[in-house]
Order: sequence, then C-alpha cells, then structure tokens
Amino acid sequence: MTSESSPQPMIVTCDAGGTMTDILLVDAAGRFSVGKASTTPQDESAGFWESLEDAFSQWGVTLDGGANGALKPLKVSIYTGTTMLNTLLQRRGKKVGLIITKGFEDSFVVERGMQAVAGYSYADRLHTVTHAHNAPLVPRKLVKGATERIDLFGKAVIPLYEHEVRDATKELVEAGVEAIAILFLFSYINPAHEQAAARIARAAMKKMGREVPVFISSEVSPTIRELARLNSVVIQAYAAEPVREQLFRIEKRLHDAGVQYPLQTMLAYGGLASVRYPRLYESVVSGPVGGLLGARFLGESVGINNLITADMGGTSFDVGLVTEGKIPLVREPEFARLMFNLPMVTINSVGAGAGTYIRLDPMTKRIMLGPESAGADPGPVCYDRGNEIPTVVDCDLILGVVNPDYYLGGKVKLNKEKALARFREEIAQPLGLDVYEAAQGVLELINAVMRDQIRSLVLAKGYSTVDYTLMAFGGAGPMHMAGFTEGLTLKGLMTVPYAAAFSAFGCATVDYSHRYQRSTHMFVAPAAEAPAKLAVAKDLNRAWEDLETRALAEMMAEGFARDAVHLQQVAFIRYGGQLDDVEVFSPVRRIESSEQLDALIARFEDLYARIYVSGARFPEAGFQILEVAVVATVSKVKPLIERRPLSPPEPPSRALKGMRQVYHHGRRHQASIFEMGELEPGNVIEGVAVIEAPNTTLFVPERKRIRFDEWGLIWME
Amino acid sequence: MDKYPPKEVLKDLIEGKLDWRRVKQIMSSPKDADRFEKYLALMQERVRWPEKILLPLGEHLYIVAKGKQRIVKCDCGCEFGDWRENWKLKALVYVRNTRQKLAEIYPGPRSPDPAWCEIREFYCPGCGTQLEVENVPPGYPVTFDFLPDIDGFYAQWLGKPLSEQVSAEDKSVKVTSQWARELSRQPTPKVARNARTSSAARAKRAG
Repeated sequence: MTSESSPQPMIVTCDAGGTMTDILLVDAAGRFSVGKASTTPQDESAGFWESLEDAFSQWGVTLDGGANGALKPLKVSIYTGTTMLNTLLQRRGKKVGLIITKGFEDSFVVERGMQAVAGYSYADRLHTVTHAHNAPLVPRKLVKGATERIDLFGKAVIPLYEHEVRDATKELVEAGVEAIAILFLFSYINPAHEQAAARIARAAMKKMGREVPVFISSEVSPTIRELARLNSVVIQAYAAEPVREQLFRIEKRLHDAGVQYPLQTMLAYGGLASVRYPRLYESVVSGPVGGLLGARFLGESVGINNLITADMGGTSFDVGLVTEGKIPLVREPEFARLMFNLPMVTINSVGAGAGTYIRLDPMTKRIMLGPESAGADPGPVCYDRGNEIPTVVDCDLILGVVNPDYYLGGKVKLNKEKALARFREEIAQPLGLDVYEAAQGVLELINAVMRDQIRSLVLAKGYSTVDYTLMAFGGAGPMHMAGFTEGLTLKGLMTVPYAAAFSAFGCATVDYSHRYQRSTHMFVAPAAEAPAKLAVAKDLNRAWEDLETRALAEMMAEGFARDAVHLQQVAFIRYGGQLDDVEVFSPVRRIESSEQLDALIARFEDLYARIYVSGARFPEAGFQILEVAVVATVSKVKPLIERRPLSPPEPPSRALKGMRQVYHHGRRHQASIFEMGELEPGNVIEGVAVIEAPNTTLFVPERKRIRFDEWGLIWME
Repeated sequence: MDKYPPKEVLKDLIEGKLDWRRVKQIMSSPKDADRFEKYLALMQERVRWPEKILLPLGEHLYIVAKGKQRIVKCDCGCEFGDWRENWKLKALVYVRNTRQKLAEIYPGPRSPDPAWCEIREFYCPGCGTQLEVENVPPGYPVTFDFLPDIDGFYAQWLGKPLSEQVSAEDKSVKVTSQWARELSRQPTPKVARNARTSSAARAKRAG
C-alpha cells in the first residue's frame, strides 16, 4: 500500500445499522469504496473492523490488522451506531438514580399521553387496547424528591433543602446506582438549585468514599418541558455512557493502527462531535440524518437548492426536505417511545422498506403492508432462512427486477422458487390473481404509501414538488424510485451509484459542529419603543454570551484553536400566541441597537412568509423568543465532488451483462442488464433496463431512461 | 417469524407470561381465522372439568354446555347457573361502603365519598378468587356486565351454529323476584331481610 497509484484513504465513515455495518472510504481524489459486514452488537468494533477490511479489499488493499500503516493517512473517521437505540429499546442501560423536585417523583410513571402511543401505526393509535405506558427508565424506588422550587421567572421561592439532597444521594449510592441524574423545575431559567444539588451530591459521595457521575438537566438540555428534559438527562446517564465505551473501543483500534485523529460521531441535528463530547445522548438518532446532509452537500456542490430525499432501506422509508439549502429542525422528537429535548433534522419515516411484510387480512382479504419487517435475520422468504411471510423484495425478485445470483454481489443466493411459491399461496391464490399481477399490485401499493409520504411532507409545508429534485437512495431506493415517483411532478429525479451507503457518505460531508440551546422568555410588543427593544436585546445578548462561553470552552477542550471556531447566533422566533417558531440566524453577533433587533425580526418575517405565505404574517401579535441557540462549527475535510469528462451516450459494451425477463405494468419485457460499475459519465440507458451493483439495483421502466452526468449523478428522465 | 402465534405462545398469552412487546405484536397483527377455536381448546385443557366451554366470560369464568343447559362456571368448578342470570347474584360479595373500607384501597385524599359510591367485590364461593369488582352509587342494582348472544356469535360470526338455539334474554329478574317472594313470606321483613338475604348482604355485614 505504498505505491503512488494506491488510493490514500482520507475519510472513513461507518453507519452501523441494526443488521449491517456499512463503511464508506473516501480518498483524496474523491474515489469511494463501500464495505459491508454484519453488525456485532456485543462489541461493535468487530463488525466495524470487518466492514473496514471489506472496503479496503475493494481497493485491493489488505488491512492486515492495521499494522502495515494503510490507515495512517486517515484524517477523519466517523462512526454512527445503534447501541444507544438498542440500549433504550431493550431497556438495558445503566442503573440510574434520580433526584427531582419533590412532588414530581412519579414523572416517569405519569409520563405524557403521547408517549403511550409514540412510534405506533395509525391503526394502533386508534385501538386503545394497544396503548401502554413505558416502563420507567428509573424505577420508582430510585427516584428521590428534594424540596425546592424555582418559579417560572427564575426566582427561588422555596430554597433547596440541602439535607434532603444529601440523604437522597446516600440512599441512592447505597442502592448501588451507577449514575445520578438531577432535574428541578424551571432549571432552564435558573440552574442554581441543580448546580447546588450536584455539588452537595458529589460532596456526600466523596464522604462515603464511593463516587458515581452526576448529570444535571440544565447542563444536558436547558429547555422547557420537564418530561422531555427528564428523558434527556436520564438518557445521558442511562444509555449514552455505554455507547461511549463502545466508541472508545473502536477509536483504540484505529489509534493502534496509526490513525492520529479522534473518532467522531454524528449528532441528531447534523453536527459532528468527538466521542468525548459530554452530551453524547444527542447522537441518539444519527443514521438517517446522514443521508439528508449528504444530499444537501451534493446539492450545494452541483447547484441544486431544493431537494427531497427518499431513503428506502430494509425496514423504513425516510423522507426529508432541503429547501433553499436549509434543513428544518424538530425540537422535541420522539425516539424509542420517548420524547426528547433535542434539535433533530426533520425526517418523516414510514414502515415501508424492502423487508416489509405483506399479509392478507384473513377476514377482509385486504392486502396489509407491515408495519414490521423481516430485517436481515431471518430476512425475506427468498433468503430461505425460515421466514414464511412474503416481503416486498420477494415481489421484486418474482418480477425479475432483482437478480437471485447477484444479491449483495452474490454473497447471498436468493431462492426465487420459494419466494414464488409462498407468495402464490399466501397472497395471489386467496385473491384469485395471477402471481405476477399480484406481485405488481403489491409493489404499486407500497409505492403509493411512499408517494403519499413524499406528497404530504411537501404539500403540508405549502411547497410544491415542481420546485424540488428528488434524490433516492438507500439499498432499495434506486429499485423503487421510478415507482414511488410515478405521478409526481418533480424538477428532477436522481440517485447515485453508491446509493446503498449514501447515509455513511452524508456523515463524511458534515462539519464538526455542536449546538447549544436554552429556553428563554422574551417578548417584543408590536409597537415596542427603542428602550423596550434594547432590554430584549440585552437579554438576548446575555443568553448568547453564556452559550458561547460554554461552546468555546468545550471546543477548545476538544483541541480546536479559538480562531478556528465559527459561532452562529440563533433565535427561535414566533408571533405572539402561535405554537410554531422559526429558526432565525442572527445577522450580527450581538444586537447593539433597536434597528439591529428590527433586522433580526425582519429576517424572521421574511422566512415566515417563505415557509407559509406572506399574507399569514401577523406582526400585530408581537414576537416571542422562547429559545436561543449558538451553533459552533469547525470546518473539516470533505469528500471531493469532481466534474468528470463525458463519454458518449452509448454505454461501453462490457457493461451489458445480458438480458432478463422482467414483468412490468401488466406485461413481460426483455430488459437489458447492466453492471453499474462499468458505466461512464455521459452514458444513457433506455428502459426497460436493470442496472446492477453489488449492494443495490436500479430499475428503469419503459418510456424512461437514465443518464449518468458529469458529477456522478444518475438522472432518470 | 411465524405467520401466526403458535399454540405455546397463545398458552403463554392466556397465562400472562408473554412480555408486553410480544403481546402488542399479537394485538397489532391480524388473527388467524381459527384463533377462537385454538383459544377455546387451550382453555379447555387448562380446566379440570369435562363440560365444553362455549365462551370465556372473564379471567376465571366460562359459559359451558352442561347437558342441555348453558351455565357459567368458574375454573375451580363452581357453578353459577344459567348464563342469562347474572352470575354475580350467586357470588360472594364484599361491599366497601364506609370511609374506612374505601381507604384500604384508596388511602388519604384519594378516598371517595361513601355517600356517592361504593365498591362491590365479587368472589367465587368455590375458590375465593376475586372475579369482578364494580364501582357504583349506593343502592344501584348489581350490574350485569355481559350477556353474550352465543347463538348469534356461533352462527353468524364463526359460521358454525350450535345444535340448539336459545335466545339471549336477561333472566336475572327471575332470581331477584324469587328473593322478593321469599322475603314477602317472612313475618317481620326487617329482621328477615337480615337473616335471609343474598350473599351480598351477608358479606356486607360480615365485612
């Protein structure tokens, strides 16, 4: 691996999913290599390493345990995994003790009605018998109340009863907790009591000679609404710390192999953080985030501002929007049936993937899709590993779109006969349909589900699909992109050859960045005079300053120079009395005059008019700022998206692998089969055609064609 | 994954041994067409008496065919008579109608006002299992929770009509009017009431 022509790995990103660990290697010239291996939940570093070896082998390089220095040139390594998700779903996190404002000890038991149905399908939401409260993350006996109260203005109306904190700490430590979380009401306005309680708890433990980490909610997530804040602070102790142990193990393997830079992970709002980042719970959802960020990056590189991303994997279909180069955030997402105070990029997900189960309702004979899916084990019927319920990919196989001998590059042999037999027996015969017609019908149904998801996301925002280019990715995205966009009027439709690992690619395109946010109570009256505005500006500046101090301290602790850190001041503004606010980037670092505040508000009104319509503006109600944030960013090396010279439209003859019969739209077609890796920029292929790659299949229906452009994008026209 | 839960899983479901996630999964999936028969067969295996179960009526009660009759039976074997007569009328009852008795269940400020509500707990005279609890205003008639149209269900839902058709009409009043007749024969109603009442009043006094 010393020769000049060998690719020099520059970025490695890893997306460890529930079943597969995908690696994307990028070299300095922008060449990609995709590696795949099974996820190893016990010690994720094993799956990571195997996948890494697979990716290197595509370049003809053996990793040899890393001793040969093949990894030395790596500048960025990013890892996103599912440990936290699994820890939460299986409720097998650390033993956490909780100290909470007295009277609120039952918060986990009472929770919020929404959490009783969080993550449910529409049918389950309707059927109340399925509604259930979550088992408390902290058992009631490990929750201790402490008398104190801070009111909503931040004033201490009842002092903290310190002896209660001391006693509670003692009892919790004696009960064997591995961490203590502290949450008091309104601590996001005034953290004094929480901070004092943490000091008391630490002192008490020191005295006892047994110390465990203490987490306070005002440090983890100083935002309004105590249940989401409670979940956030407890998750940090309960699930994020075990994740850190996994990440350290992976980092150690990389460092042992000569990598000099720290391992990074992806945060829910699309920033990167070192594995030493204190609020690691923010990485709780990170896999699907990558795709959206990757699409934005690609869009920026080639000049596309408005994008719809459609990520079709094995279990879900995730849709996101990039509008004018911006990705909207949700600030109270739900995850593993819990709500969090955590900004997260907006992604709408529906249980429609290649592995989604297809069943007939035995009473009505109606086709039912999902909501669960077969995953990788036992997998679809055609895997022949014991699953008897047909899935979507079995239909693709029956129709001839999927090649049974080239699935995952031939690593998995598919049993087409079995898929056909089971599908006939379970679906086609009871419906009295021909097996091909039925399989086609199922695909049309699942495509319709996905199309509705796209449509509702775009239309609900008041946008039109006409202004958007849709980018399809995920293992099954290219196969279904023609189907789920049928009938949508789009500006363009495209995918990329590395669609299966696009989420991992996306992680590589992101800057190193953290967000710091806190709730506030600020109001600008409609006819406010300059002094009133300056008072608001003073509060705003102070809040930003606090956040910046924290941001810089953390960034510098992570080894960045002060000058390298770019700070962006953010205010979440809404019209008085409305429920939704808009994230507004401040044009200035500090608001020094009433005119500058007006400029910030004008920016809000402009954004508001673009998101909704200008007639919906309502300045007469005044403006509320209930949350402020600071985004601290340090730029990093990113993959290179290079324009390549165009070859003639005719694909090279070696790319054509043969012909295969494909059933589509009610009839059989002779489809040309191409190898994705052999196609060149400029090539055009008319449907009906199937383009095969080891980890994905692109289907081109009749009257459609695909074109490889100079940026490496594949357009369907 | 199995298409439908196999027998052992259904058995665990009945016995409450499945974890919530599996239960939820079963609830959210379609039922196999013969789930009722499977369920009934499992119930039949669990009881020690021979009568055929027609319909489960609660956690411990069943409507069974006994000869030509359809009666309510507890899994201990205790019989409550015709299914159209409210079985609660033949159960033991403990009534919580004082502050003190209510406070045993709902202590402190959660305790309801006995002038407004009472809690009636129904127990099997055979095994002492609590079968049902009702919460009603004092003086409210004993509620008849469920009078299923067994023939309608077997004929129209399962498509397997039972050999004999019996109309599902509430016959509980037969029992209560019998009590009334017995009471009216007593010379001094007030004393008699105490001496010969339903098990309900007996337990009430004893409690």
